[in-house]
Amino acid sequence: MTTATLDVNQPATPPAFQHLSTGRRVKNGIATALVWLAFLVAVIPLVWVLVSVLARGAHMVANADWWQQSLGGLLGDDVGGGVYHAIYGSLVQSLMCAVIAVPIGLLVAIYLVEYGRGRLAKATTFMVDILSGVPSIVAALFIYAMWITTLGFNRSGFAVSLALVLLMLPVVVRSSEDMLRLVPDELREASYALGIPKWKTIVKIVIPTALSGILTGIMLALARVMGETAPVLVLVGYSGYINYDLFSGEMASLPLLMNSERVSNPSPIGTDRIWGAALTLVIIIALFNLAATLLSRLVAPKKK
Amino acid sequence: MNFKRHGAALGIVAAGALLLAGCGGDPTPPGGSANSASSSSTPVDCGGKNPLSAEGSSAQKGAIDLFAQAYGQKCAGAQVNYNASGSGNGVKQFNGGQVDFGGSDSALSADKGEVSAAAERCKGNPAWNLPMVFGPIAIAYKLDGVSNLVLNGETTAKIFNGSIKKWNDPAIKALNSGANLPDKDIQVVFRSDESGTTDNFQKYLAAASNGAWTQGAGKSFHGGVGNGAEKSNGVASAVQAVDGGITYVEWSYAKNISVAKLDNGSGAVELTSDSVGKAIDNAKVKGEGNDLVLDLDALYASNTPGAYPLILATYEIVCSKGYEPDTAKAVKAFLTVAATDGQARLADKGYAPLPKAFQDKLLTAIQAIA
Repeated sequence: MTTATLDVNQPATPPAFQHLSTGRRVKNGIATALVWLAFLVAVIPLVWVLVSVLARGAHMVANADWWQQSLGGLLGDDVGGGVYHAIYGSLVQSLMCAVIAVPIGLLVAIYLVEYGRGRLAKATTFMVDILSGVPSIVAALFIYAMWITTLGFNRSGFAVSLALVLLMLPVVVRSSEDMLRLVPDELREASYALGIPKWKTIVKIVIPTALSGILTGIMLALARVMGETAPVLVLVGYSGYINYDLFSGEMASLPLLMNSERVSNPSPIGTDRIWGAALTLVIIIALFNLAATLLSRLVAPKKK
Repeated sequence: MNFKRHGAALGIVAAGALLLAGCGGDPTPPGGSANSASSSSTPVDCGGKNPLSAEGSSAQKGAIDLFAQAYGQKCAGAQVNYNASGSGNGVKQFNGGQVDFGGSDSALSADKGEVSAAAERCKGNPAWNLPMVFGPIAIAYKLDGVSNLVLNGETTAKIFNGSIKKWNDPAIKALNSGANLPDKDIQVVFRSDESGTTDNFQKYLAAASNGAWTQGAGKSFHGGVGNGAEKSNGVASAVQAVDGGITYVEWSYAKNISVAKLDNGSGAVELTSDSVGKAIDNAKVKGEGNDLVLDLDALYASNTPGAYPLILATYEIVCSKGYEPDTAKAVKAFLTVAATDGQARLADKGYAPLPKAFQDKLLTAIQAIA
């Protein structure tokens, strides 16, 4: 009996490849080693950056004043103050950018997925591709030429938002397009079969289904533009004071603050501020990514 | 169902934004009250555009920070945003009408078209160059056993272009009769990045060396000897690292290094606020009326007893007329505070306070802005 049960567990015919040849094993080993090596090479700089930013910036960030005060009226070597003005600037500039870029980007994506046929759709895709390849400094100089030189406005936080729109738009279009394409056609067809018009199908069926992915894409795009440096260097002046007005005057942001301290503050306090601001930026972007995950879970379509 | 969820998510975001918008404030600068007690009685007509915006030379950034602090104390809540992006940018942004005044290491140049562009920006009125900030340049050295080095323009030029290679060279000995100069190589350290300090130092050498300096001026060092180091911090630490080193650097960076006295023909002069003030007092203005462009060549070559001539002058560039009334008021208020109360702590930061006579000249010009 016992032998019979054992026989059941054995394959009827011996497997064709029982022994791996040494050559294959060596190749496998080499490939595994290479993959691990590539992984380490990718991770080492990341961990290094995080550790050094944490090590040098933590003592600045671990202070309530850092989050609640500006640097207004402080000298380069005065201890104290904070980056509230820069956090406010960074958030408001990128939120204004999102307010402009998200509706346009979403509508373009809907057009491309639901309506776009023929030349216009192809041209749009092509333009979005080109736009996503535009370096941030080019976007910044374009806005400078258009908004400030030609239209005659002053430098302001809003000009930065406009330049960020150019950088954010292709990312939003791309991610929303992908998410909308993932919505199964069966859902659309079922809706049409019930006599629902196309626009209502899009609003009530397609977008809610894809919403979680779209929101994730938007948050990631937002996190990306928040760290952009070129537009703030060109399009707005730095201010150590809090400026609540997005449309006029100098306005700080975290990358701009870091650059300003680097260029004009040789004291060790300046270096501390740079590391602190860097850590603050990392923390804020990490929070945005976290929020993206939470948001997408929250609005994900029910599976049942 | 879905709407409730979206509402909740939006609510969280909105609440976060409100929380952030609610709790920020500008800090109170340390030592604020101590300063206002000693402030002068010059009346300042506060008000006007707030904040003022300005951009330009990084050499005067530290002084402008002090001025801005004093301005905020004298006129409660008044702010100045100064972006230290370099003299060239300062002039460009001023002429483009983006900032209210510019900061520059050199006066507006007619050859480059800056004067006419500035006049256009000021609605047809000339722009004025007001030399508000003076920073002495120190000749800093490290030589064990020698603490009272005296140099003159000619010897300095020869050291920095390599004609003098040893510390016990007869030319140096002649100036330092009592000192025990060692038989060591001179290690010249220069600024490797482009800098207004280098430019002014070379202009000084050209003007004060009796023809020993033939390399000309410019923002990069032309001496052809020694080792470069980046930024003021860099040259200061490089010269301290090697026995026999010598360099030129802004005074504020030379606080812990030996600084050579300069003998411009009428005795050795130590670098102090007084000796710099004396030089500024004697500076000739070559501009017309209230346009206070300085004749630096004459200043560098002068031999007034007790005056330290090696200084870097940086200008505020303002419109004589043509500002909006609001802007004019604020510019006048800020510059007035800068020329009076703002002078208090300048010496600590390596700048030279304005001597009385020159201060009066500046105040006259500032009052004339309309």
